[in-house]
Amino acid sequence: MARNKWVQLTILAVIIAAAVFTVSSNLSAGSSAPQVMDEAVNFSLYGLDGALHELDDYIGKPIIINFWGTFCPPCVREMPLIQSKYEEYADSGLVVLGINLDESTVTINHFTQGMNLTFPILLDKNVVRKQYGVYEYPTTFFIDEKGVIRQKIVGEMNEGSLPSHDIDLAIRRLLYG
Amino acid sequence: MLKNTKCECGHQNPVGTVLCEACGLPVHPEDVQSDKPLEMRYEGAARRSQKSNPNILDRVWNFFSSVKVAVYLIIITLICSIIGTLLPQVNVIPSNDPASYYATEYGWIGELYYALGLADTFGTWWYKGLVLMIAASLIICSLDRIIPLYRALSKQQAVKHETFLRRQKVLYTGDVANAEAWLGEMEAAAKGRRYRVTREGNALLAEKNRFSRWGPYINHIGLIILLAALLTRGIPGWYMEQGIALKEGQTGPINGTSYYLENIQFTEVKEVGPHISGQELQFAFETEAVLYRCIDNCHNPLSEPILEEVKQHTIKPNEPLVHEGYSIYQIDYSFEPQLTAITFDIGAEGRSLGEIKIELADPAFFYPVGDLTFELSGYYPDLTNVNGEPATKSRQPNNPAFIFDVQRADGVEESYFVVPLEQFQTRLKGSGDAEVLQFEIADMDASRYSSYMLVRVERALPYILAGALIFLFGVVLGLYWQHRRIWVRIDGDQLIVAAHTNKNWYGIREELAKLLRKTGIETDAKSLDNNGVTKK
Amino acid sequence: MSVEQIESLIDLSSTFLMVAFLVYNLSFIVFGIAVLGKRWSNRDPQSHERRWGTIGLIIAIVGFLSQAAFAGLRWAANGHIPVSNLYEFLTFFGMMVVLAFIIIYAIYRKPLTGLFAMPLAVVIVAYGAVFPNAVKPLIPQLQSIWLYIHVTLAALGEAFLAVGFAAGLMYLLRTVDFRDKSVSGRRKIRGVEVTLFSLITLISFIAIIFIFRGAGYHAEFTQTVIEIDQTTKQEVEVEHTVEYTLPPIFKPHNSVTVEMQSFLGMEEPLLEAPSWLNGVNAGRKLNTIVWSLALGLVLYGLLRLILRRPLGAAVSPIMDGIDEQDLDEISYRAIAIGYPIFTLGALIFASIWAHQAWGRFWAFDPKETWALITWFFYTAYLHLRLSRGWQGEKSAWMSVIGFLIIMFTLIGVNLVIAGLHSYAGV
Repeated sequence: MARNKWVQLTILAVIIAAAVFTVSSNLSAGSSAPQVMDEAVNFSLYGLDGALHELDDYIGKPIIINFWGTFCPPCVREMPLIQSKYEEYADSGLVVLGINLDESTVTINHFTQGMNLTFPILLDKNVVRKQYGVYEYPTTFFIDEKGVIRQKIVGEMNEGSLPSHDIDLAIRRLLYG
Repeated sequence: MLKNTKCECGHQNPVGTVLCEACGLPVHPEDVQSDKPLEMRYEGAARRSQKSNPNILDRVWNFFSSVKVAVYLIIITLICSIIGTLLPQVNVIPSNDPASYYATEYGWIGELYYALGLADTFGTWWYKGLVLMIAASLIICSLDRIIPLYRALSKQQAVKHETFLRRQKVLYTGDVANAEAWLGEMEAAAKGRRYRVTREGNALLAEKNRFSRWGPYINHIGLIILLAALLTRGIPGWYMEQGIALKEGQTGPINGTSYYLENIQFTEVKEVGPHISGQELQFAFETEAVLYRCIDNCHNPLSEPILEEVKQHTIKPNEPLVHEGYSIYQIDYSFEPQLTAITFDIGAEGRSLGEIKIELADPAFFYPVGDLTFELSGYYPDLTNVNGEPATKSRQPNNPAFIFDVQRADGVEESYFVVPLEQFQTRLKGSGDAEVLQFEIADMDASRYSSYMLVRVERALPYILAGALIFLFGVVLGLYWQHRRIWVRIDGDQLIVAAHTNKNWYGIREELAKLLRKTGIETDAKSLDNNGVTKK
Repeated sequence: MSVEQIESLIDLSSTFLMVAFLVYNLSFIVFGIAVLGKRWSNRDPQSHERRWGTIGLIIAIVGFLSQAAFAGLRWAANGHIPVSNLYEFLTFFGMMVVLAFIIIYAIYRKPLTGLFAMPLAVVIVAYGAVFPNAVKPLIPQLQSIWLYIHVTLAALGEAFLAVGFAAGLMYLLRTVDFRDKSVSGRRKIRGVEVTLFSLITLISFIAIIFIFRGAGYHAEFTQTVIEIDQTTKQEVEVEHTVEYTLPPIFKPHNSVTVEMQSFLGMEEPLLEAPSWLNGVNAGRKLNTIVWSLALGLVLYGLLRLILRRPLGAAVSPIMDGIDEQDLDEISYRAIAIGYPIFTLGALIFASIWAHQAWGRFWAFDPKETWALITWFFYTAYLHLRLSRGWQGEKSAWMSVIGFLIIMFTLIGVNLVIAGLHSYAGV
């Protein structure tokens, strides 16, 4: 009798284990893109500087991730603003990562040199873009020290006009809560 | 209060037994008095789920062991599946924003559908939960029944209690003059119809097709294997799906793997007739492809990956490229003519200095020509004008424009802006007297088609198939053969013949009638019916 | 082969199909004589039934061979087995129903089953003939040996399930008491009437299409649909041309009549499809459904007026003389044969082919899911029958519902629900 009870228990344990496995593998498949208040998904991309950059290396600092391309006029228009903010908040440890959307290195290089961009430019070939569910350009993510996405701005950012797309407002919210 | 489960024949039955394991007499006195047909399920053996005083573990066990619960689970899963077909699911909608897509396409119904999670019905936790519960039911109901059934069927005896026989659903009673002779004829007749006959004194048991009783359990095992195999998809490396789009001549990485794929050429065959329709119809399409493994510099946009050829195959629908668990399928294509490379002939003062070939997808920086060094310092794939400045409209090389920095051997630096398709070029920087270099188009490579392929890993597949085939085997075994048993008991000159089957009573009545006829007893199959339940 | 040769092969094959269709009807009549003529024959009823039953069987076999010739000639003309569109598949399915019936008849030898199974085959073949039968080469995705295996076995499995339905319906007609006024009694009568009404509606649909097609009816509309362009995310107005082969009771939503032949004095469309039915084909399909239901109601109403009782009650007397247990047995046996064939053809081989063609052995697309739903249903049927004692009437009802599910898989999924798998629409 006692042995039979163990058989029952084992079978039920196996089934519960299967259930847990199913649910967890379902969640970790991570099919949906991270939204505001989600943890930023880690990625590793090569930069224009030739080095391999991993997001996890930057976690602990306030981070701006900007998805952009030279073919996207609003992305081009907002770039000088991003660069100036990068310089302005450098002392606060602000990290800016410009993830390019699948363009050739020559094109990117020409552009970044022309704009004198000093923050890391990362080269994405449709991998990270999909991970982050980016389908409209530009899209900018603001990530806090704990690696949580605090804000997502879709569209050209500005300073001082539209509050929802105000980069300065977003940065200050990121830094000072 | 302990119930006495010792039968009058002397056999001690486990608690919960319905029919004595030895002689078949009902264990409970109330059952003996009744004259309804005997409950023969699982040979009346004690089953775990029939215990009294169930604790929580037993309750859960009993719940999943019940066939009624199983049928409810199947019907509920059926209804949920129907709901999942009412609107297209997320994996087929042409949109990256499902929330707004359902709302705009289908109005408030769509909004509700999406909000309830029905847009991905088959991926929800509750649908998977239903399948899991069916799996639990499969395992537990089989275990609950198969062990007692196997034990009961293995230790059957030929001599059965008279009550057991008289309460069977197929019954013949009569007189027989010579017991021994009759039993001999019966045995021969039964063996002629492929029964296995056992005799004990004046009792006889003829049994055939016992294997068909295992049919349901085999098919349940098949389903369990199938579902377990589906679970393994969660194991890293056992399942992967990745799309890849390649222009002709392009080699691209298969994301998530160390493989690269090259589209050497795409062919679309359209045929006009010989069909009455006279239309130009798609007949075949295929990609001549090469699979490479990347050894170094993989997934680094800044350098050329070092590739080693692994396999060549012409991929077409129904004919994937298969290599070590990876399968690459031809899914779709589109006619998108595009330039892939331009070769310039560099001329100065009428003579050619050399050629440079520029790959338009991701051009290289440096191009040596003779004692000149060309550096591609700017590239606009799709030249357009934004506030008087050159910019690019898109990432496709529809109208490529190049900025070349040229360094001559004597150290002079020049800069050229070249737009080949507009036949425009100008020297941006350079000394007035040095000859102007001419960029002439020597050659253009183009791709006509983009090929859309799907890379898949499905390591669980052979196990899923095995489970399905075992299931089918079990179904056939259980449905197409019936387990038939005929018991004979002769007391003096009184003959009792009873029979039982797990299905197809019509058949066993016919067969028993035939057997009895062979022993000289004329009966009609219908008269053997001892169902005891009044029919409408 | 030249175009002329192909055309002549196709014409010849169509003739064989017509012959098969007529022969099936003849077989139905002969089975009718076998069952109903018992009383008027001067022979002993049993031998009368048996004799005419055998003749009916032979005629059914002749019809089957004729339709096999149709399929064979079409195969020769087209270079592949004729199961690649809805017309071909449904006619093939009808042929399989005849085959399943022949096999069941060989086991049980009950002419009454022919009286129900043959018309079922006739209706299915007629339904198939509604759809476009243009001869086309196989699209690349269908160019596989699995076309031959998966589709044919699925059709055969479903054919046996259909014969199970016929026997189940016969069981209900035999056992339902049409004079029972109790709540449960009336529910059963209503159930039988609904089933018969559905069959009448299907026949109405077929009849209507052929009548108006024969009359050459045509109407055309230009429909303006607001669509969302996926690239610009803007709302754009797109114009579509919608053609009707039936007089428009409902014209497409937001459309303009381009041309319309008058019908019974009706010069303008009567009504307009509601706004939530704004798909391009939705208005036409609504119109077709409304026409079918309308004629079905009219026919049903007429029949009830003439017979002055529920249709089931009128048919029920011919069931006298057959043991309902036999019908129960036939229904179950047919389903027991069909279930494994269906599982193998419609699920297992289908998945293997899907994996071969698309790399996904199961994608929960509507047709696949409905095959699974059908499988779930018949699994429940078998469990309820074998483990819970659901024999007789309950089993018969389940066989009727099961067939409904199969017909939805063939009709509803192909025409109403879109998907990778769908055939053309009417």
